[in-house]
Amino acid sequence: MKKVTVFLKTYALPIFAIVAIVLGIAFVNGSKNATSAKAGRTPVVFWHEMGGPAEVALDKMVDDFNKSQNKYEVIPQYQGAYDEAVQKIIQSHGTSASPALFQSFDISTAQIMHSKYITPVQKFIDQDNYDVSDISPVARSFYSNKGQQLAMPFNTSQPVLYYNASLFKKYGVTPPAKSPSYSDVTRAAKALYENSHHKVKGMTMEIYGWLMEEALANAHTSLINNGDGHSGNPTKIDLNNPTTKKFLTWIRTNIKSGDFVNYGSGASAETNEIAAFLANKLGIFVQSSAYIGQLTTGTKNKLGISYFPHPDGVKANGVGIGGAALWISNDKPAKTQRGAWEFIKFAETAKNQANWQKATGYLALNKNSQKTKVLQDIYQKIPAAKVPGEQLASAKPNNTNSGILMEGMQLTRELEETAMEGVYNGQAINSALNTANKAMNANLKTTNKADGR
Amino acid sequence: MLKSPAQSTPTSPLSVDKTKSKLAEQETKFTLNAKDKYFAWAFLGPSLLILGVFIFYPMIKTLYLSLFLTNTVGKTTVFVGLSNYMNLLTSADYLSSLGVTLFYVFAVTIITIALGLILANLASKRLPGIGLFRTLFSATMGVSVSVAAIFWLFIFNPSTGFLSLVSTWMHLPQIPWLTDPTAAMWAVIITTVWMNLGFTFLILLGAMSAVPTTLYEAANIEGASSRFQFFHITIPSISPTLFFVSLITLIESFKSFGLIDLMTKGGPTNATNMLVYRIYKDAFYSGNYAQASAESIILTIIIALFTLLQFKVLEKRVNY
Repeated sequence: MKKVTVFLKTYALPIFAIVAIVLGIAFVNGSKNATSAKAGRTPVVFWHEMGGPAEVALDKMVDDFNKSQNKYEVIPQYQGAYDEAVQKIIQSHGTSASPALFQSFDISTAQIMHSKYITPVQKFIDQDNYDVSDISPVARSFYSNKGQQLAMPFNTSQPVLYYNASLFKKYGVTPPAKSPSYSDVTRAAKALYENSHHKVKGMTMEIYGWLMEEALANAHTSLINNGDGHSGNPTKIDLNNPTTKKFLTWIRTNIKSGDFVNYGSGASAETNEIAAFLANKLGIFVQSSAYIGQLTTGTKNKLGISYFPHPDGVKANGVGIGGAALWISNDKPAKTQRGAWEFIKFAETAKNQANWQKATGYLALNKNSQKTKVLQDIYQKIPAAKVPGEQLASAKPNNTNSGILMEGMQLTRELEETAMEGVYNGQAINSALNTANKAMNANLKTTNKADGR
Repeated sequence: MLKSPAQSTPTSPLSVDKTKSKLAEQETKFTLNAKDKYFAWAFLGPSLLILGVFIFYPMIKTLYLSLFLTNTVGKTTVFVGLSNYMNLLTSADYLSSLGVTLFYVFAVTIITIALGLILANLASKRLPGIGLFRTLFSATMGVSVSVAAIFWLFIFNPSTGFLSLVSTWMHLPQIPWLTDPTAAMWAVIITTVWMNLGFTFLILLGAMSAVPTTLYEAANIEGASSRFQFFHITIPSISPTLFFVSLITLIESFKSFGLIDLMTKGGPTNATNMLVYRIYKDAFYSGNYAQASAESIILTIIIALFTLLQFKVLEKRVNY
């Protein structure tokens, strides 16, 4: 017995180290195996950023594709968050580790376009005479430049206004209209707050640059010159415009009357607002349509959905999309690129888009998906789930609702959020917007200088 | 200061000379031996290689990047000299980040050390069942950053959180912990202190139990109060450990990242946008490698200065 303890004392650490190394090697080898395709098939490495239920649904889609033909094998690899994935994609370009097909999010479009690391999908659309008219025009226009389709929209959402229909009924308040104006939302939020004797907060709006940009889009206002970057390289940003002021003044009014609750920014804000909404402590919030699933499972409350609000006296222009697109890398042989395109076509079919919407809450982009049984069943169970798709279909693409085609959007968004935070915490609207605007323009100038434009 | 025995014993000049010449002889022998040289390189080589690849090369590359502008794909394009640094040091945004970081670092270090001392002093008493408290006080050592962040996010939740429930119950005004700039800073400080406390407590407790009991016995006979004993026996005796712990806490707080990322993401209004988090965001969110490199160099200089200052000032006051 004593010998054993002595033995353990002397050798425990080396043994542990050896076991760890062996396991490590085994693990590395194991994960390497996953990247090689079956014999006779061209491997198409696919980087994506879908976690949770969306990853399961995506893996199934990939699996279906691989079974549907025997020329290509798509190999999905999860890459973490959107922001970091963009840097990984760009920095690994031209190496053997780089992907042939990748998913990259909305605001990275200009950056990837300028990197010249991709083959625009337009090339394949032309080769195949692929009919794009079935795919949502406002989603397509987000990832195109001067008539050329750069990437195909994939997981797509739109901001919508959610309201707790059961709460509105309980306190006898008329819910917001289908396409509500700012004052209509304020009316509903205030009445809910008062009628519930301050037990229920009326509304919230996450501190999220995307939502502020959508407010501009819906009011047909450009954030940057040259048609939000769609008609030429941007040189000037104008955040401090009347539309932004109207949007922030609207929120300010609600903060002052007490019916507004601020959950801050980031993922925790989204978790908190959903938790409060499901716990009947919040009546209205504006957020991505991808949350419908979470808002309808495990609750008896009836969910209501309206379009993104628009300023009073302004016709709603329709909002842009959020989400991500599928891009084809140009550092792989033609055969591999062809395989990537075949997968994209597969992903955009009516059936696959319908299944995708069912599994994830992202909107089906193919207009024929709406007729499928999968979606008809959902709409029968949750009538409100139809609204985001209707909003998407109703938007006619123009420069202001096709996204902002400018490099450095991540930083721009951050500065927008700092301005929003300032206003939510009592800073004067004009000074908050001016500070952000100055920093944005300085950043744009540096970017243009660094890129020699 | 105690005198070292070497200083107090007088040595004859002759013997010193002898040892010196002996050492010199060995040195010359060492440098002449080619085989030894070979072995020296063989042993130093691997570590030099690793340091070179993973430490020196990135450091030099960072310095290089910080003098340029970088384009869409992160390649250097225009040489701008020190203009990245000038832009940073004149930007109100960056200076506020610097101020926020210093506030955070000092608040965390001071509060952690103070609480650690109090807890360690309580737990160093020999009482029945004290083992349970020692375990409890050091329990946060086993908690990872992500778990701590999620745990505290629940506590700080404005609608369903514990603190919100308590303040509703006591009819106190609600504190918007994570959305108000001042409150968010304190929320992060509280969480960091809570995380650090276990380690600090354990190290200080270890140091306290090493203080000879005879000192306290003598003090008790003299009739010294326990407060007097704490400040005049305990603190001076554990000062080397205190120095060590404060240095570690300070430098670790400068590098604080996980909690910020999980709890506030630098917000609200950049109130918790510390230097390290800023570097990460500028480089890996915005792709602005040049500016992030300049920020890294500035941070390195700051940490080096603090380390130097602490060694110079604090070490002199340490009672060995």
